[in-house]
Amino acid sequence: MDHQEIMAKIAETMVDVFDVDDLEVTEATSADDVEEWDSLSHIRFVITLERLFKIKFRNEEIAELKNVGDLARVIEAKLAA
Amino acid sequence: MSDEKAAALRVLLAPLPETLVIAEAVLAAWPDHAAYLLKSFGARSPEMLASTELAATAARKLMAGNEARFAEGYRWTCDQLRDEEIFFHREGRYRLSTFAEADAEVYSNHDYMSRYVDGLLLSQILWFNHAGTFEMFANRVLAAADAPFDYLEIGPGHGLMVYLAARSPLSRSLAAWDFSAVSLRETGAALATLGVDKPVSLVEVDILKAEAPDRQYDLIVISEVLEHLEQPEVALAFLRKALRPTGRIFINVPLNSPSPDHIYLVSTPEELTALVEAAGFKVERLEMFATQGRKIESALAQRISVSTGIVAVPASNDRF
Repeated sequence: MDHQEIMAKIAETMVDVFDVDDLEVTEATSADDVEEWDSLSHIRFVITLERLFKIKFRNEEIAELKNVGDLARVIEAKLAA
Repeated sequence: MSDEKAAALRVLLAPLPETLVIAEAVLAAWPDHAAYLLKSFGARSPEMLASTELAATAARKLMAGNEARFAEGYRWTCDQLRDEEIFFHREGRYRLSTFAEADAEVYSNHDYMSRYVDGLLLSQILWFNHAGTFEMFANRVLAAADAPFDYLEIGPGHGLMVYLAARSPLSRSLAAWDFSAVSLRETGAALATLGVDKPVSLVEVDILKAEAPDRQYDLIVISEVLEHLEQPEVALAFLRKALRPTGRIFINVPLNSPSPDHIYLVSTPEELTALVEAAGFKVERLEMFATQGRKIESALAQRISVSTGIVAVPASNDRF
């Protein structure tokens, strides 16, 4: 799965988890840009990504990953590992 | 972004000076928490803001100038809860399931407990769900008393609810029980600091093992306790016997609320009602307060913590 495919899946997941219709997602999109992306929904968001990509984040990663580009890169690295 | 949220929070809390001091201490320790706090306070009714200020005034007395330490404890506690939250959403259950496990990890761990207890005191003011059940207790449980009452609380913690009950001119006697002598000593010290001038009977009792109560009470409170027990039904059955036929019990249980020492998971209000009714109570009032004031339906669907306050009365004087 390449970076663009991962980005697309993350964007789909965001629409679903944050329950928003129009969401323009870029590498730079962060929790500051999405009102519904807060500390609570963040956990559900990353756990949903774990299930989707069949990977597991470390708890520290979950706390630190707040930007879509970083999330995509970590997922890409875990899929390649 | 955090600066804008913090500025908006300061405007919102300007009429609540004691609450604002606590929020400032937390913002100093944890600037990124501003967005969470803004949502949590922005969702409160005027009544809830007023009861929050009352709790904050009491909490400031207990903090005795150590706001920074309490703020650090709060941040640390939230970190622990985040890890539990991750486990809960992955596995669909609380991580620990026995009292012995919780005792080993939390209750008997002095360093853990001291920070955790500090953090939980601030959560009474900072979390919408905790502030919600506190307001319910003040305005629709205590204020609904229309005759002198004998009060019993199980697991009084920092003593804020005993303190409120003592302020009621109708409280005739006050008792607080806990299974831990250490916790009871801390409750006693807190009540003295808060200036409670009515006598409070502090008794070491494990209601899971206690024999039949030797007397009855008009108002029993068990708030944020049942989720810490392996057998909450045994505790409720005991309290049913300790409640006068004309009495009321206030039960507060958080649904889907992973915490290091929560071992009994209740997922829905129906499940909680069934637990209470099975012990011989009739539920008269049920109110729910979701984290950050979210809509209840969506919080339940997403398994986000919802504090649930129940007022119940004896179901039938004949059967029990």
